[in-house]
Amino acid sequence: MRDTVLLLAMNGLIWGLIIALIALGLSVIFGLLDIINIAHGDFFMVGTVLAWFSLSATGNFWIGFIVAPVIGFVIGAIIQRLVIQPIHGAAALSIVATFGLSLILQETVRITFGATPRRMLAPIQGTVPLFGIDYEIYRLFAAGIALVALAGFFLFLQHTKLGIWMRAVRHDRETAVAMGIPAQRVYVMTFGVWFALAAFGGAVAAPITTVDFRGGVDVLPFCFMAVIIGGLGNLAGTVAAAVLLAFLEGLVQSVADPTVARISSLVLMSAVLLLRPQGLFKGFTR
Amino acid sequence: MTRRSIEIGMAVSAATFLISVPWLIPALTDNFWVSVITEILIWSLFAASANLLFGYVGLLSFGQALYFGFGMYGVALGIDHLGLSFWPAFGLGIVSAIAMALVSGVFAVRLSWHYFAIITVVFSLIFYFLAVSMKPLTGGDDGINFSLPPVFRFGGSIWSLTDPTFQYFFVLAVVSLCFFLMYRVINSPLGKGFLAIRDNDLRASLIGLNVYVLRLIAFVMAGFLAGVSGALFAFFGRYASASYMFYQVSGEAVVWTIVGGAGTMFGPLVGTTLFIVIREIVSSHWEHHSLIVGLLAILAVIFAPKGIVGLWNGWMTRLGERDAASAPPRLTLQAEP
Repeated sequence: MRDTVLLLAMNGLIWGLIIALIALGLSVIFGLLDIINIAHGDFFMVGTVLAWFSLSATGNFWIGFIVAPVIGFVIGAIIQRLVIQPIHGAAALSIVATFGLSLILQETVRITFGATPRRMLAPIQGTVPLFGIDYEIYRLFAAGIALVALAGFFLFLQHTKLGIWMRAVRHDRETAVAMGIPAQRVYVMTFGVWFALAAFGGAVAAPITTVDFRGGVDVLPFCFMAVIIGGLGNLAGTVAAAVLLAFLEGLVQSVADPTVARISSLVLMSAVLLLRPQGLFKGFTR
Repeated sequence: MTRRSIEIGMAVSAATFLISVPWLIPALTDNFWVSVITEILIWSLFAASANLLFGYVGLLSFGQALYFGFGMYGVALGIDHLGLSFWPAFGLGIVSAIAMALVSGVFAVRLSWHYFAIITVVFSLIFYFLAVSMKPLTGGDDGINFSLPPVFRFGGSIWSLTDPTFQYFFVLAVVSLCFFLMYRVINSPLGKGFLAIRDNDLRASLIGLNVYVLRLIAFVMAGFLAGVSGALFAFFGRYASASYMFYQVSGEAVVWTIVGGAGTMFGPLVGTTLFIVIREIVSSHWEHHSLIVGLLAILAVIFAPKGIVGLWNGWMTRLGERDAASAPPRLTLQAEP
């Protein structure tokens, strides 16, 4: 019993770190650019599929870690330019546009990859003893990678020119433009970076989850939950909420089936929305 | 041609078309399209429920599938488990949808914009997962089938929805009645209150409107429309399934509404027709019709951000201005703004 709880809690924790990579992008796009991105889960799904293709093309798993974010970046930038920019940040229209985008991404994957879900073998096999249970090495490795990516991302936002520009444009577009920041280019780059991050999350998660053209559909509500519980626009809160939610779901899963776990986190989410709509962590950060 | 005569002409021809469908369509193509049009009518009522909230009150609901599902399961469980006849089952579906809308609306309408959109989707997901897990009762994703009880029984003659023509007219009558009710509400003082809240809820509250209560009324009305469409769809398909309560179904209603024209009476009908007709035409030739649907959704918001009906209204307004310009000049006391 104790082992099951521990195993599922660990699984939840690691899944939460990967979800955090995806939810971060959603948080910025949703909370600050006012775009409700229905296709965000599919960005993740595209990452898992790119990982699959690069593995089957080269036979080397690790190439996917480079291919997925790079191609993701390019697709994200193209999407911003062709689809998001023409609707001028109107939130209601963004739903329709990204819904269309989601259909196109899913259908393209269905044509190229096929409709059957597939499993990918982890490149690192074997288990290590951890707190008395044998735990898969790859999952621990994935958690490490996700942590590094999260840390790298926050450093990027704080310390690089592009990162500072992104925050400036988000904060006050008019002033940013007046200061000579090329806002339009920053938007394109922003979308590219978020897509890259979600696709990278997909590549990391591919051996843990299944590779399926509908893989983004389940991830999307979970990411929205993390964004809201963490507080709109509160990036650190989003990460904390993603980890907390997945961890709690893992715990509940050890005593009940996954559906009950999902329902309990949805109920928790309703309570947060009604009692603390500003997010669980307001006042703890900043 | 003035705007009014064009619109009257269109309304008359649309009504004539709708009434003649059961004879016209089999003569032109085949009976399959009668059932497609029946389905379009049902789904356009569902889209209208999203439109009532978003287009007229400014609340973007991503959870209308919940009330659709309650209407659907009210009918299916009423017939299959409780052994109800047609009208009591129909009533059970509608009442359970309204009750659910009231209970969830009490919480949901306290929030607005992003938070409202999220809480509606959260509520609908909770019940979606409940329906999936309560498989013995709901049948889960596979759903439950039931056989149709007759609608009317006069002496020896039995009227049942198994007759496609009768089914079509039954759906047409119910959907038209609902659209008429919605039209009356929108043009009543209550409807003006909705519009005031949509345009600026702070000002609406300052002139003494109770924003919370008005939003709740609109939410329950939208739940009613979604519930009726769900009940009709259960009768139409003779089954109910949890998969119709998933958030993507709610999302489709929003997409159909916005592409057709949010905040217009017939926008949802136009949007629903467009998407379902394309789905039916393309899917018989090409498996990957979703690509076309996706592309169309994107093109629609880029080139017609106010929806198809919005685009049409723009043309009509310009037509009106041209007529006014060609009319003999009249004395104006004040410059037009």
